[in-house]
Amino acid sequence: MELVVALGLIVFKVALLIAILLLLPLPLTWLERKIAGHIQQRMGPMRVGWHGLLQPVADGVKLLTKEDHIPAEADRFLFKLAPILALAPPFVVFVAIPFGESVSVLGTKITLYVSNLNVALLFVFAVIGIEVYGVIFGGWAANSKYAVLGSLRTCAQMISYEIPMGFAVIGVVMLAQSMSLLDIVRAQANVWNIVYQPVGFFVFFVAGLAEAQRIPFDLAEAEGDLGAGFHTEYSGIRFAFFMVSEYAIMLLTSVLAVILFFGGWNGVLVPLPPLLWFVLKVAFFVYVFIWFRFTFPRYRYDQLMAIGWKVLLPLSMANIIITGVAFL
Amino acid sequence: MSRALDRTGIWIGWAFFADLTNALALTFGYMFSRPVTMQYPDKEKWLPYSRYRGHHFLKRDDEGEIKCVACELCARICPCDCIEVIPYEDEKGNRHPAKFEIDMARCLFCGLCEDACPADAIALGQQYEFSSFSSADLVIGRDDLLGKPGKATTGGGVVAARLNTEQDVLVETSEPQGYNWWRNIRRT
Ligand code: SF4
Ligand code: SF4
Repeated sequence: MELVVALGLIVFKVALLIAILLLLPLPLTWLERKIAGHIQQRMGPMRVGWHGLLQPVADGVKLLTKEDHIPAEADRFLFKLAPILALAPPFVVFVAIPFGESVSVLGTKITLYVSNLNVALLFVFAVIGIEVYGVIFGGWAANSKYAVLGSLRTCAQMISYEIPMGFAVIGVVMLAQSMSLLDIVRAQANVWNIVYQPVGFFVFFVAGLAEAQRIPFDLAEAEGDLGAGFHTEYSGIRFAFFMVSEYAIMLLTSVLAVILFFGGWNGVLVPLPPLLWFVLKVAFFVYVFIWFRFTFPRYRYDQLMAIGWKVLLPLSMANIIITGVAFL
Repeated sequence: MSRALDRTGIWIGWAFFADLTNALALTFGYMFSRPVTMQYPDKEKWLPYSRYRGHHFLKRDDEGEIKCVACELCARICPCDCIEVIPYEDEKGNRHPAKFEIDMARCLFCGLCEDACPADAIALGQQYEFSSFSSADLVIGRDDLLGKPGKATTGGGVVAARLNTEQDVLVETSEPQGYNWWRNIRRT
Protein backbone atom coordinates (compact mmCIF):
# COMPACT_ATOMS: atom_id res chain seq x y z
CA MET A 1 0.00 0.00 0.00
CA GLU A 2 2.76 2.40 0.96
CA LEU A 3 4.57 1.60 -2.25
CA VAL A 4 1.47 2.16 -4.37
CA VAL A 5 0.85 5.57 -2.81
CA ALA A 6 4.47 6.57 -3.29
CA LEU A 7 4.47 5.39 -6.89
CA GLY A 8 1.17 7.09 -7.60
CA LEU A 9 2.53 10.30 -6.16
CA ILE A 10 5.58 10.18 -8.37
CA VAL A 11 3.50 9.50 -11.46
CA PHE A 12 1.20 12.35 -10.54
CA LYS A 13 4.11 14.73 -10.01
CA VAL A 14 5.73 13.79 -13.30
CA ALA A 15 2.45 14.18 -15.15
CA LEU A 16 1.89 17.57 -13.55
CA LEU A 17 5.39 18.67 -14.43
CA ILE A 18 5.02 17.60 -18.06
CA ALA A 19 1.65 19.32 -18.34
CA ILE A 20 3.03 22.55 -16.89
CA LEU A 21 6.09 22.49 -19.10
CA LEU A 22 4.05 21.78 -22.21
CA LEU A 23 1.55 24.53 -21.47
CA LEU A 24 3.96 27.19 -20.24
CA PRO A 25 5.20 28.17 -23.70
CA LEU A 26 1.70 29.44 -24.45
CA PRO A 27 1.74 32.30 -21.92
CA LEU A 28 5.46 32.76 -22.47
CA THR A 29 5.13 33.40 -26.20
CA TRP A 30 2.34 35.82 -25.50
CA LEU A 31 4.44 37.56 -22.86
CA GLU A 32 7.45 37.68 -25.13
CA ARG A 33 5.51 39.25 -27.96
CA LYS A 34 3.83 41.71 -25.64
CA ILE A 35 7.11 42.78 -24.06
CA ALA A 36 8.73 42.98 -27.47
CA GLY A 37 5.90 45.15 -28.69
CA HIS A 38 6.00 47.56 -25.80
CA ILE A 39 9.78 47.86 -25.90
CA GLN A 40 9.40 48.87 -29.53
CA GLN A 41 6.44 51.15 -28.73
CA ARG A 42 4.02 48.76 -30.38
CA MET A 43 1.21 46.87 -28.75
CA GLY A 44 1.96 43.30 -29.69
CA PRO A 45 -0.91 40.91 -30.32
CA MET A 46 -4.23 42.68 -29.77
CA ARG A 47 -6.85 41.02 -31.92
CA VAL A 48 -7.39 37.44 -30.70
CA GLY A 49 -9.04 37.56 -27.32
CA TRP A 50 -8.57 40.27 -24.73
CA HIS A 51 -5.28 42.01 -25.54
CA GLY A 52 -4.35 39.07 -27.72
CA LEU A 53 -4.43 36.57 -24.87
CA LEU A 54 -5.70 33.80 -27.12
CA GLN A 55 -3.07 34.47 -29.77
CA PRO A 56 -0.80 31.57 -28.62
CA VAL A 57 -3.77 29.20 -28.89
CA ALA A 58 -4.44 30.40 -32.40
CA ASP A 59 -0.77 30.00 -33.24
CA GLY A 60 -0.80 26.52 -31.75
CA VAL A 61 -3.78 25.50 -33.88
CA LYS A 62 -2.02 26.93 -36.90
CA LEU A 63 1.17 24.99 -36.18
CA LEU A 64 -0.70 21.74 -35.58
CA THR A 65 -2.71 21.98 -38.78
CA LYS A 66 0.18 22.96 -41.01
CA GLU A 67 1.74 20.54 -43.42
CA ASP A 68 4.57 18.57 -41.85
CA HIS A 69 7.09 18.98 -44.59
CA ILE A 70 10.23 16.87 -44.96
CA PRO A 71 12.70 17.99 -47.63
CA ALA A 72 13.27 15.41 -50.37
CA GLU A 73 17.02 15.22 -49.79
CA ALA A 74 16.75 15.07 -46.02
CA ASP A 75 17.95 12.19 -43.87
CA ARG A 76 14.47 11.14 -42.87
CA PHE A 77 15.34 9.22 -39.74
CA LEU A 78 17.55 11.90 -38.21
CA PHE A 79 15.13 14.58 -39.36
CA LYS A 80 12.35 12.95 -37.36
CA LEU A 81 14.59 12.11 -34.42
CA ALA A 82 16.01 15.60 -33.94
CA PRO A 83 12.92 17.40 -32.57
CA ILE A 84 12.34 14.63 -30.05
CA LEU A 85 15.98 14.73 -29.05
CA ALA A 86 15.66 18.46 -28.56
CA LEU A 87 12.39 18.25 -26.67
CA ALA A 88 12.96 15.37 -24.24
CA PRO A 89 16.08 16.48 -22.27
CA PRO A 90 14.66 19.75 -20.88
CA PHE A 91 11.70 17.76 -19.60
CA VAL A 92 13.90 15.07 -18.12
CA VAL A 93 16.05 17.63 -16.36
CA PHE A 94 13.11 19.00 -14.42
CA VAL A 95 12.86 15.68 -12.59
CA ALA A 96 15.94 16.68 -10.62
CA ILE A 97 14.83 20.23 -9.92
CA PRO A 98 13.36 21.01 -6.51
CA PHE A 99 10.67 23.66 -6.34
CA GLY A 100 10.44 23.86 -2.58
CA GLU A 101 10.73 21.77 0.56
CA SER A 102 7.39 20.10 1.13
CA VAL A 103 3.76 20.84 1.71
CA SER A 104 1.35 18.80 3.75
CA VAL A 105 -1.87 17.85 2.03
CA LEU A 106 -4.45 15.91 4.05
CA GLY A 107 -1.94 15.08 6.71
CA THR A 108 0.62 13.54 4.34
CA LYS A 109 3.78 15.38 3.54
CA ILE A 110 4.32 15.88 -0.15
CA THR A 111 7.74 16.96 -1.30
CA LEU A 112 7.88 19.57 -4.01
CA TYR A 113 10.42 17.66 -6.07
CA VAL A 114 10.29 14.39 -7.92
CA SER A 115 13.62 13.12 -6.68
CA ASN A 116 16.46 14.44 -4.58
CA LEU A 117 19.50 13.26 -6.49
CA ASN A 118 22.76 13.72 -4.64
CA VAL A 119 24.45 14.54 -7.95
CA ALA A 120 21.56 16.60 -9.28
CA LEU A 121 23.79 19.32 -10.67
CA LEU A 122 25.87 16.86 -12.63
CA PHE A 123 22.69 15.18 -13.88
CA VAL A 124 21.29 18.50 -15.06
CA PHE A 125 24.38 19.43 -17.02
CA ALA A 126 24.77 15.95 -18.48
CA VAL A 127 21.19 15.67 -19.69
CA ILE A 128 20.93 19.19 -20.98
CA GLY A 129 24.02 18.48 -23.06
CA ILE A 130 21.96 15.94 -25.02
CA GLU A 131 19.62 18.66 -26.18
CA VAL A 132 22.39 20.07 -28.32
CA TYR A 133 22.37 16.84 -30.33
CA GLY A 134 18.81 17.57 -31.34
CA VAL A 135 19.88 20.93 -32.70
CA ILE A 136 22.94 19.52 -34.44
CA PHE A 137 21.10 16.55 -35.95
CA GLY A 138 18.21 18.74 -37.02
CA GLY A 139 20.49 21.07 -38.91
CA TRP A 140 22.49 18.24 -40.43
CA ALA A 141 19.54 16.09 -41.47
CA ALA A 142 17.70 18.89 -43.23
CA ASN A 143 20.38 18.96 -45.91
CA SER A 144 20.13 22.68 -46.39
CA LYS A 145 23.01 25.09 -46.24
CA TYR A 146 21.43 27.42 -43.72
CA ALA A 147 20.55 24.57 -41.40
CA VAL A 148 24.03 23.06 -41.59
CA LEU A 149 25.61 26.42 -40.82
CA GLY A 150 23.27 26.71 -37.87
CA SER A 151 24.35 23.35 -36.48
CA LEU A 152 28.01 24.09 -37.08
CA ARG A 153 27.66 27.22 -35.03
CA THR A 154 25.83 25.31 -32.31
CA CYS A 155 28.67 22.78 -32.06
CA ALA A 156 31.32 25.42 -31.56
CA GLN A 157 29.14 27.59 -29.35
CA MET A 158 28.19 24.79 -27.00
CA ILE A 159 31.75 23.65 -26.43
CA SER A 160 32.89 27.13 -25.60
CA TYR A 161 29.97 27.73 -23.24
CA GLU A 162 29.29 24.52 -21.40
CA ILE A 163 32.83 24.49 -20.01
CA PRO A 164 32.74 27.93 -18.34
CA MET A 165 29.20 27.18 -17.21
CA GLY A 166 30.35 23.98 -15.54
CA PHE A 167 33.23 25.74 -13.87
CA ALA A 168 31.05 28.63 -12.77
CA VAL A 169 28.83 26.43 -10.62
CA ILE A 170 31.78 24.69 -8.92
CA GLY A 171 32.09 27.66 -6.59
CA VAL A 172 28.49 27.09 -5.54
CA VAL A 173 29.14 23.39 -4.99
CA MET A 174 32.16 24.25 -2.84
CA LEU A 175 30.08 26.58 -0.70
CA ALA A 176 27.29 24.07 -0.18
CA GLN A 177 29.63 21.06 0.07
CA SER A 178 27.09 19.14 -1.98
CA MET A 179 25.89 18.66 -5.53
CA SER A 180 22.31 18.14 -4.49
CA LEU A 181 20.23 21.13 -5.51
CA LEU A 182 18.19 20.75 -2.36
CA ASP A 183 21.29 21.07 -0.17
CA ILE A 184 22.53 23.98 -2.24
CA VAL A 185 19.32 25.88 -1.57
CA ARG A 186 19.39 24.94 2.12
CA ALA A 187 22.93 26.25 2.37
CA GLN A 188 21.67 29.64 1.20
CA ALA A 189 19.07 29.99 3.94
CA ASN A 190 20.84 33.00 5.43
CA VAL A 191 22.95 34.51 2.67
CA TRP A 192 22.36 33.97 -1.01
CA ASN A 193 25.23 32.74 -3.10
CA ILE A 194 25.14 35.85 -5.27
CA VAL A 195 26.81 37.69 -2.38
CA TYR A 196 29.78 35.32 -2.34
CA GLN A 197 29.82 34.42 -6.01
CA PRO A 198 29.02 37.47 -8.13
CA VAL A 199 31.61 36.48 -10.72
CA GLY A 200 30.32 32.94 -10.77
CA PHE A 201 26.82 34.23 -11.35
CA PHE A 202 28.00 36.51 -14.14
CA VAL A 203 29.73 33.67 -15.95
CA PHE A 204 26.78 31.36 -15.37
CA PHE A 205 24.29 33.90 -16.65
CA VAL A 206 26.20 34.75 -19.81
CA ALA A 207 26.78 31.07 -20.51
CA GLY A 208 23.12 30.43 -19.76
CA LEU A 209 22.12 32.96 -22.40
CA ALA A 210 24.22 31.00 -24.88
CA GLU A 211 22.88 27.70 -23.61
CA ALA A 212 19.29 28.84 -24.10
CA GLN A 213 20.22 30.13 -27.56
CA ARG A 214 18.83 33.53 -26.81
CA ILE A 215 19.95 36.86 -28.17
CA PRO A 216 22.72 38.06 -27.93
CA PHE A 217 24.01 34.52 -28.50
CA ASP A 218 21.36 32.98 -30.72
CA LEU A 219 23.84 32.29 -33.50
CA ALA A 220 22.36 28.89 -34.31
CA GLU A 221 19.10 30.36 -35.50
CA ALA A 222 20.16 33.89 -36.39
CA GLU A 223 17.12 35.04 -38.39
CA GLY A 224 19.08 37.80 -40.04
CA ASP A 225 21.82 35.75 -41.61
CA LEU A 226 20.67 32.10 -41.59
CA GLY A 227 16.96 32.15 -42.36
CA ALA A 228 16.02 30.33 -39.20
CA GLY A 229 19.25 28.42 -38.65
CA PHE A 230 18.95 24.78 -37.72
CA HIS A 231 15.16 24.69 -37.94
CA THR A 232 14.90 26.42 -41.31
CA GLU A 233 13.39 23.32 -42.90
CA TYR A 234 11.09 22.36 -40.05
CA SER A 235 7.41 23.09 -40.13
CA GLY A 236 4.25 22.26 -38.26
CA ILE A 237 4.43 20.12 -35.16
CA ARG A 238 8.15 19.39 -35.43
CA PHE A 239 8.88 23.10 -35.44
CA ALA A 240 6.63 23.42 -32.40
CA PHE A 241 8.79 20.81 -30.65
CA PHE A 242 11.86 22.98 -31.14
CA MET A 243 9.98 26.02 -29.89
CA VAL A 244 8.76 24.26 -26.76
CA SER A 245 12.25 22.96 -26.14
CA GLU A 246 13.66 26.46 -26.46
CA TYR A 247 11.22 27.86 -23.93
CA ALA A 248 11.78 24.95 -21.57
CA ILE A 249 15.51 25.61 -21.64
CA MET A 250 14.99 29.30 -21.06
CA LEU A 251 12.89 28.35 -18.07
CA LEU A 252 15.48 25.85 -16.91
CA THR A 253 18.26 28.40 -17.07
CA SER A 254 16.16 30.82 -15.04
CA VAL A 255 15.33 28.12 -12.51
CA LEU A 256 18.98 27.11 -12.20
CA ALA A 257 20.07 30.72 -11.75
CA VAL A 258 17.53 31.10 -8.96
CA ILE A 259 18.46 27.83 -7.26
CA LEU A 260 22.21 28.22 -7.54
CA PHE A 261 22.68 31.91 -6.89
CA PHE A 262 19.47 33.53 -5.68
CA GLY A 263 18.56 31.37 -2.77
CA GLY A 264 15.88 29.23 -4.39
CA TRP A 265 12.70 29.55 -2.35
CA ASN A 266 14.35 31.41 0.52
CA GLY A 267 12.75 34.80 0.76
CA VAL A 268 14.05 38.12 2.03
CA LEU A 269 12.23 40.74 4.08
CA VAL A 270 8.73 39.99 2.82
CA PRO A 271 7.36 36.72 4.23
CA LEU A 272 5.71 35.14 1.22
CA PRO A 273 5.06 31.43 0.74
CA PRO A 274 8.33 29.79 -0.41
CA LEU A 275 6.83 28.52 -3.65
CA LEU A 276 5.63 32.02 -4.51
CA TRP A 277 9.09 33.42 -3.86
CA PHE A 278 10.51 30.82 -6.17
CA VAL A 279 8.03 31.56 -8.95
CA LEU A 280 8.57 35.30 -8.62
CA LYS A 281 12.33 34.96 -8.92
CA VAL A 282 12.04 32.67 -11.92
CA ALA A 283 9.58 35.06 -13.55
CA PHE A 284 12.04 37.87 -13.04
CA PHE A 285 14.77 35.96 -14.83
CA VAL A 286 12.45 34.99 -17.66
CA TYR A 287 11.65 38.68 -18.03
CA VAL A 288 15.34 39.51 -18.09
CA PHE A 289 15.86 36.98 -20.86
CA ILE A 290 13.13 38.57 -22.95
CA TRP A 291 14.30 42.06 -22.09
CA PHE A 292 17.83 41.20 -23.26
CA ARG A 293 16.49 39.80 -26.47
CA PHE A 294 14.93 43.07 -27.50
CA THR A 295 17.78 45.24 -26.31
CA PHE A 296 20.97 43.75 -27.67
CA PRO A 297 22.12 42.91 -31.17
CA ARG A 298 23.60 39.52 -31.90
CA TYR A 299 27.29 38.93 -31.22
CA ARG A 300 29.45 37.97 -34.14
CA TYR A 301 30.63 34.39 -34.33
CA ASP A 302 34.29 35.04 -33.51
CA GLN A 303 33.39 37.51 -30.78
CA LEU A 304 31.31 34.82 -29.16
CA MET A 305 34.23 32.40 -29.20
CA ALA A 306 36.53 35.07 -27.84
CA ILE A 307 34.16 35.83 -24.98
CA GLY A 308 33.79 32.16 -24.19
CA TRP A 309 37.45 31.17 -24.19
CA LYS A 310 39.26 34.39 -23.31
CA VAL A 311 36.92 35.98 -20.78
CA LEU A 312 34.51 33.52 -19.26
CA LEU A 313 36.84 30.55 -18.91
CA PRO A 314 39.63 32.44 -17.07
CA LEU A 315 37.03 34.25 -14.98
CA SER A 316 35.40 31.02 -13.88
CA MET A 317 38.81 29.46 -13.12
CA ALA A 318 39.82 32.47 -11.07
CA ASN A 319 36.51 32.24 -9.28
CA ILE A 320 37.20 28.64 -8.27
CA ILE A 321 40.71 29.47 -7.07
CA ILE A 322 39.57 32.44 -5.01
CA THR A 323 36.73 30.46 -3.49
CA GLY A 324 39.19 27.72 -2.63
CA VAL A 325 41.66 30.15 -1.06
CA ALA A 326 38.87 31.74 0.95
CA PHE A 327 37.95 28.29 2.23
CA LEU A 328 41.47 27.59 3.40
CA MET B 1 45.01 65.28 -18.93
CA SER B 2 41.24 65.44 -19.13
CA ARG B 3 41.34 63.36 -22.33
CA ALA B 4 43.28 60.69 -20.49
CA LEU B 5 40.82 60.85 -17.60
CA ASP B 6 37.96 60.55 -20.03
CA ARG B 7 39.52 57.49 -21.55
CA THR B 8 40.02 55.80 -18.21
CA GLY B 9 36.43 56.65 -17.38
CA ILE B 10 35.30 54.96 -20.57
CA TRP B 11 37.42 51.90 -19.81
CA ILE B 12 36.03 51.62 -16.30
CA GLY B 13 32.56 52.00 -17.79
CA TRP B 14 33.26 49.16 -20.18
CA ALA B 15 34.57 46.92 -17.45
CA PHE B 16 31.28 47.32 -15.61
CA PHE B 17 29.15 47.16 -18.79
CA ALA B 18 28.01 50.76 -18.58
CA ASP B 19 27.06 50.68 -22.26
CA LEU B 20 25.00 47.55 -21.86
CA THR B 21 23.19 48.87 -18.79
CA ASN B 22 22.47 52.11 -20.63
CA ALA B 23 20.84 50.11 -23.40
CA LEU B 24 18.82 48.11 -20.90
CA ALA B 25 17.66 51.26 -19.14
CA LEU B 26 16.58 52.74 -22.47
CA THR B 27 14.52 49.74 -23.52
CA PHE B 28 13.03 49.54 -20.03
CA GLY B 29 11.96 53.16 -20.33
CA TYR B 30 10.42 52.50 -23.70
CA MET B 31 8.51 49.57 -22.31
CA PHE B 32 6.48 51.88 -20.12
CA SER B 33 5.96 54.57 -22.71
CA ARG B 34 2.75 54.82 -24.68
CA PRO B 35 2.66 52.68 -27.79
CA VAL B 36 2.29 54.57 -31.04
CA THR B 37 0.19 51.87 -32.67
CA MET B 38 -2.93 53.12 -34.42
CA GLN B 39 -5.41 50.27 -34.15
CA TYR B 40 -6.78 50.46 -37.64
CA PRO B 41 -9.36 49.33 -38.65
CA ASP B 42 -10.59 47.82 -35.39
CA LYS B 43 -10.68 50.76 -33.09
CA GLU B 44 -9.13 53.85 -34.57
CA LYS B 45 -8.58 55.48 -37.87
CA TRP B 46 -6.72 58.42 -39.16
CA LEU B 47 -8.23 61.65 -40.41
CA PRO B 48 -6.50 62.94 -43.53
CA TYR B 49 -5.01 66.38 -43.70
CA SER B 50 -6.57 68.90 -46.06
CA ARG B 51 -3.58 68.54 -48.37
CA TYR B 52 -3.97 64.76 -48.42
CA ARG B 53 -4.29 63.22 -51.88
CA GLY B 54 -7.02 60.62 -51.66
CA HIS B 55 -9.85 59.62 -53.95
CA HIS B 56 -10.66 62.12 -56.71
CA PHE B 57 -13.86 64.08 -56.77
CA LEU B 58 -15.46 66.32 -59.40
CA LYS B 59 -16.83 69.70 -58.39
CA ARG B 60 -20.04 71.48 -59.35
CA ASP B 61 -20.41 75.18 -59.91
CA ASP B 62 -22.95 77.44 -58.17
CA GLU B 63 -25.79 76.39 -60.47
CA GLY B 64 -25.13 72.78 -59.71
CA GLU B 65 -23.73 72.18 -63.15
CA ILE B 66 -20.56 70.08 -63.41
CA LYS B 67 -17.53 72.37 -63.58
CA CYS B 68 -15.51 70.21 -65.93
CA VAL B 69 -15.31 71.59 -69.47
CA ALA B 70 -13.98 68.33 -70.89
CA CYS B 71 -10.77 69.90 -72.15
CA GLU B 72 -8.97 66.62 -71.54
CA LEU B 73 -5.92 68.35 -70.11
CA CYS B 74 -6.02 66.05 -67.10
CA ALA B 75 -6.12 63.04 -69.36
CA ARG B 76 -3.11 64.43 -71.22
CA ILE B 77 -0.97 65.17 -68.19
CA CYS B 78 -1.78 62.00 -66.30
CA PRO B 79 1.43 59.94 -66.17
CA CYS B 80 -0.55 56.73 -65.87
CA ASP B 81 -2.95 57.46 -68.67
CA CYS B 82 -5.84 56.53 -66.44
CA ILE B 83 -8.36 59.27 -67.18
CA GLU B 84 -10.75 58.94 -70.07
CA VAL B 85 -12.88 61.95 -71.03
CA ILE B 86 -15.48 62.06 -73.83
CA PRO B 87 -17.01 65.51 -74.32
CA TYR B 88 -20.48 66.57 -75.46
CA GLU B 89 -22.15 69.92 -75.98
CA ASP B 90 -25.30 70.75 -74.04
CA GLU B 91 -28.27 72.92 -75.20
CA LYS B 92 -26.56 76.12 -74.07
CA GLY B 93 -23.51 75.29 -76.09
CA ASN B 94 -21.24 74.43 -73.13
CA ARG B 95 -18.81 71.57 -73.25
CA HIS B 96 -19.17 68.96 -70.57
CA PRO B 97 -17.96 65.39 -70.22
CA ALA B 98 -20.36 62.74 -71.38
CA LYS B 99 -18.04 60.17 -69.95
CA PHE B 100 -15.41 60.80 -67.33
CA GLU B 101 -13.69 57.69 -66.02
CA ILE B 102 -10.70 57.34 -63.72
CA ASP B 103 -9.06 53.96 -63.33
CA MET B 104 -8.12 54.08 -59.66
CA ALA B 105 -6.21 50.84 -60.00
CA ARG B 106 -3.64 52.64 -62.13
CA CYS B 107 -3.68 56.09 -60.57
CA LEU B 108 -0.60 56.93 -58.54
CA PHE B 109 -2.19 59.89 -56.73
CA CYS B 110 0.33 62.40 -58.03
CA GLY B 111 -2.26 65.16 -58.13
CA LEU B 112 -1.13 66.40 -61.55
CA CYS B 113 -4.70 66.26 -62.87
CA GLU B 114 -5.72 68.67 -60.12
CA ASP B 115 -2.88 71.04 -61.02
CA ALA B 116 -3.56 70.90 -64.74
CA CYS B 117 -7.27 71.52 -64.66
CA PRO B 118 -8.07 75.01 -66.00
CA ALA B 119 -11.63 74.95 -64.63
CA ASP B 120 -10.77 73.87 -61.08
CA ALA B 121 -13.09 70.95 -61.67
CA ILE B 122 -11.17 67.97 -60.33
CA ALA B 123 -9.33 67.51 -57.06
CA LEU B 124 -8.04 64.78 -54.83
CA GLY B 125 -10.12 64.44 -51.68
CA GLN B 126 -9.93 62.74 -48.31
CA GLN B 127 -11.35 59.29 -48.96
CA TYR B 128 -8.75 56.53 -48.72
CA GLU B 129 -10.78 53.42 -48.04
CA PHE B 130 -11.87 52.10 -51.40
CA SER B 131 -10.02 48.84 -51.83
CA SER B 132 -11.88 46.24 -53.78
CA PHE B 133 -11.70 42.60 -54.77
CA SER B 134 -12.02 43.35 -58.45
CA SER B 135 -10.02 45.85 -60.44
CA ALA B 136 -13.04 46.48 -62.64
CA ASP B 137 -14.77 48.04 -59.62
CA LEU B 138 -11.99 50.57 -59.40
CA VAL B 139 -12.94 52.28 -62.62
CA ILE B 140 -14.98 55.19 -61.32
CA GLY B 141 -17.43 57.01 -63.53
CA ARG B 142 -18.56 60.64 -63.68
CA ASP B 143 -21.58 60.42 -61.41
CA ASP B 144 -19.71 58.54 -58.72
CA LEU B 145 -16.92 61.08 -58.83
CA LEU B 146 -19.41 63.90 -58.33
CA GLY B 147 -20.62 62.23 -55.15
CA LYS B 148 -17.23 61.62 -53.56
CA PRO B 149 -16.26 63.56 -50.41
CA GLY B 150 -14.23 66.68 -50.94
CA LYS B 151 -11.10 67.98 -49.28
CA ALA B 152 -10.71 67.42 -45.58
CA THR B 153 -11.08 70.48 -43.41
CA THR B 154 -9.45 69.14 -40.27
CA GLY B 155 -6.83 66.49 -40.23
CA GLY B 156 -3.97 64.66 -38.68
CA GLY B 157 -6.00 63.30 -35.80
CA VAL B 158 -6.95 59.77 -34.89
CA VAL B 159 -10.59 59.04 -34.27
CA ALA B 160 -12.58 56.00 -33.25
CA ALA B 161 -13.47 53.85 -36.22
CA ARG B 162 -16.27 51.37 -36.50
CA LEU B 163 -15.76 48.53 -38.87
CA ASN B 164 -18.92 47.92 -40.82
CA THR B 165 -18.12 44.81 -42.75
CA GLU B 166 -21.22 45.11 -44.89
CA GLN B 167 -20.27 48.34 -46.59
CA ASP B 168 -17.39 50.47 -45.60
CA VAL B 169 -15.40 51.67 -42.65
CA LEU B 170 -17.47 54.37 -41.07
CA VAL B 171 -16.08 57.08 -38.85
CA GLU B 172 -17.62 57.78 -35.51
CA THR B 173 -16.19 60.94 -34.11
CA SER B 174 -16.73 61.87 -30.54
CA GLU B 175 -14.00 64.48 -30.51
CA PRO B 176 -14.18 66.55 -33.68
CA GLN B 177 -10.46 66.34 -34.37
CA GLY B 178 -9.43 63.19 -32.61
CA TYR B 179 -6.19 62.97 -30.70
CA ASN B 180 -2.91 63.90 -32.24
CA TRP B 181 -1.09 60.73 -33.10
CA TRP B 182 2.29 62.41 -33.09
CA ARG B 183 2.13 63.22 -29.41
CA ASN B 184 2.92 59.59 -28.60
CA ILE B 185 6.20 59.60 -30.46
CA ARG B 186 9.07 59.82 -28.01
CA ARG B 187 11.84 62.14 -28.99
CA THR B 188 15.02 62.27 -27.02
S1 SF4 C 1 -3.60 61.81 -59.63
FE1 SF4 C 1 -2.02 61.61 -61.22
S2 SF4 C 1 -2.14 59.48 -61.84
FE2 SF4 C 1 -4.02 59.90 -60.72
S3 SF4 C 1 -5.49 60.47 -62.29
FE3 SF4 C 1 -4.55 62.38 -61.57
S4 SF4 C 1 -2.85 62.72 -62.95
FE4 SF4 C 1 -3.45 60.60 -63.22
S1 SF4 D 1 -11.38 67.79 -65.12
FE1 SF4 D 1 -10.43 69.74 -65.65
S2 SF4 D 1 -8.66 69.16 -66.89
FE2 SF4 D 1 -9.97 67.38 -66.81
S3 SF4 D 1 -11.26 67.51 -68.61
FE3 SF4 D 1 -12.39 68.47 -66.97
S4 SF4 D 1 -11.85 70.62 -67.08
FE4 SF4 D 1 -10.33 69.54 -68.31
